[in-house]
Amino acid sequence: MSTAPEQTPAVSVVGVSKKWAAVSAFTDVSFDVPQGEVVALLGPSGAGKSTLLRCVNHLETISAGRIYVHGDLIGYRLGDQALYELSDAEISRQRQKIGMVFQHFNLFKHMTALQNVMSGPVHVLQRPKAQATALAMDLLDKVGLKAKADAYPSELSGGQQQRVAIARALAMQPRVLLLDEPTSALDPELAQEVVETIRKLAEEGQTMLIATHDMGIARDVADRVIFMEGGRIAEDARSKDFFTAPKSDRAR
Amino acid sequence: MAMTDRLSAPELPIVHRRRWGAWLLGAVALVVVVTIVHAAIRARIVNLGVFADYIFDPLIVMGAVNALMLGTLALFIATIIGFIAALMRVSGNPILVAISATYVYLFRGTPMLIQLIFWFNAVPIMFPSITISLPFMAEPLVSTPTTSLVTPFLAALAGLSLAEGAYMSEIIRAGILAVDKGQRAAATALGMTQRQVLAQVVIPQAGRIIIPAAGNQYIMLLKSSSLASAIGYLELLRVATDIYSSNFQVVELLAVAAFWYLVMTAFATAIQTVLEKVFPQR
Ligand SMILES: Nc1ncnc2c1ncn2[C@@H]1O[C@H](COP(=O)(O)OP(=O)(O)O)[C@@H](O)[C@H]1O
Ligand SMILES: [Mg+2]
Repeated sequence: MSTAPEQTPAVSVVGVSKKWAAVSAFTDVSFDVPQGEVVALLGPSGAGKSTLLRCVNHLETISAGRIYVHGDLIGYRLGDQALYELSDAEISRQRQKIGMVFQHFNLFKHMTALQNVMSGPVHVLQRPKAQATALAMDLLDKVGLKAKADAYPSELSGGQQQRVAIARALAMQPRVLLLDEPTSALDPELAQEVVETIRKLAEEGQTMLIATHDMGIARDVADRVIFMEGGRIAEDARSKDFFTAPKSDRAR
Repeated sequence: MAMTDRLSAPELPIVHRRRWGAWLLGAVALVVVVTIVHAAIRARIVNLGVFADYIFDPLIVMGAVNALMLGTLALFIATIIGFIAALMRVSGNPILVAISATYVYLFRGTPMLIQLIFWFNAVPIMFPSITISLPFMAEPLVSTPTTSLVTPFLAALAGLSLAEGAYMSEIIRAGILAVDKGQRAAATALGMTQRQVLAQVVIPQAGRIIIPAAGNQYIMLLKSSSLASAIGYLELLRVATDIYSSNFQVVELLAVAAFWYLVMTAFATAIQTVLEKVFPQR
């Protein structure tokens, strides 16, 4: 999707590194995601894809660099001498506009599908129940699960759970949606229904950053592929170029 | 052929294997139980007349009510203490973790009876008088000798709550840890503050997980309230003891007390069952 060059990027990762005491996840990673673009984050297991996504909404702290979402510096305040970590309340406010979908769905097990989708608007945004219910039903309809509104996660298939999880993230009307291997825990047929849901979002112009091993997503849904390896970006290309003529050996 | 006969036979009944061994074992167990009960009745261990005289004795019933009150209040306070100690334990803050772990070690590691007698005796010695005064006032607002405040009831309540709080903290901690990290990450990613994550996601699920264990603790506490007899609190066992020390009907009065403990246990079990039904595990 083409975007005006002067537009603020949806996500801007600038020279970001993440390391723990002994392990380094990635070093000096930089890229911009323009609004409306769908980026597939590829790479072997352990390449740092999940960690990078978790840094974007500050579920993980970063060791160096800066991350911006729609121009907001995530997780820190720029001081004279350093970046100072924000308070829990301030970071929570930033996260409201950053949706996240997990490999293992992570639905709230004590809530029905509907309550899961309503949880953000009701508890985070303090929206009235009636309004949140209407929005949640629309979203469940959109992911094809209106009939399952009153089902608990334990009564849903993996694919259904993942679609509820996507609806839950969408209920916050996120500026960007981070998806960490959304289909990896699913059988092929179930994965397909989740891919279709993601494709629909892509067509609506939802900005997405998707860590995945699913070539269907990377080739057919994503506009662009970022290939990570050994804690660095090995290749950053348009999706069709990446699949017709990969430059890095490993991407092959 | 035989094979085709079998296949073409309509609707054959299905006969399942009998569990003869289990039935045999059950019969043996029944015989043993009947023998023991019969021997007890023949020996007239309990004079049923005396038992009936005392079962609804006002003093006995008051003792039972006191025991139920003490045990129930202690459970509530212990749950609050246990919840705070559990949160400290999972906070990741080394000072809070150390304080919580030490508390659990001390209070779980010493007999409840010692703790009860300790609170009854030690507190008035440690703080001989309790004074509450307001700043800029010459005369204290309240000033009383501690002995008049630390009644047997308060000492028993403090002792049971603190001891039980140590057990509850471990139960609640296990409940909190049973709520997977993924759900917490999902709630955090939605924009919930840590307090909201706790209130909306962790506590509702941990609360459900700990019901069976908490029910068990409630039953233990109801019975442990009998320890308060050692510091003169008029609970069920103390009342029964006082009565049999004058009329020497020891076994009958112990049976009366046991009966009421069983009633309390049935009550606790009923509450647990209802809670488990109302909040099914998802
Ligand atoms: N909490 C952690 N502490 C230490 N090392 C970690 C932690 N989380 C992940 N890692 C390490 O960081 C690297 C990147 O992990 P991850 O982001 O999960 O990779 P991917 O999602 O691409 O498979 C791995 O080597 C992993 O072992
Ligand atoms: Mg991963």
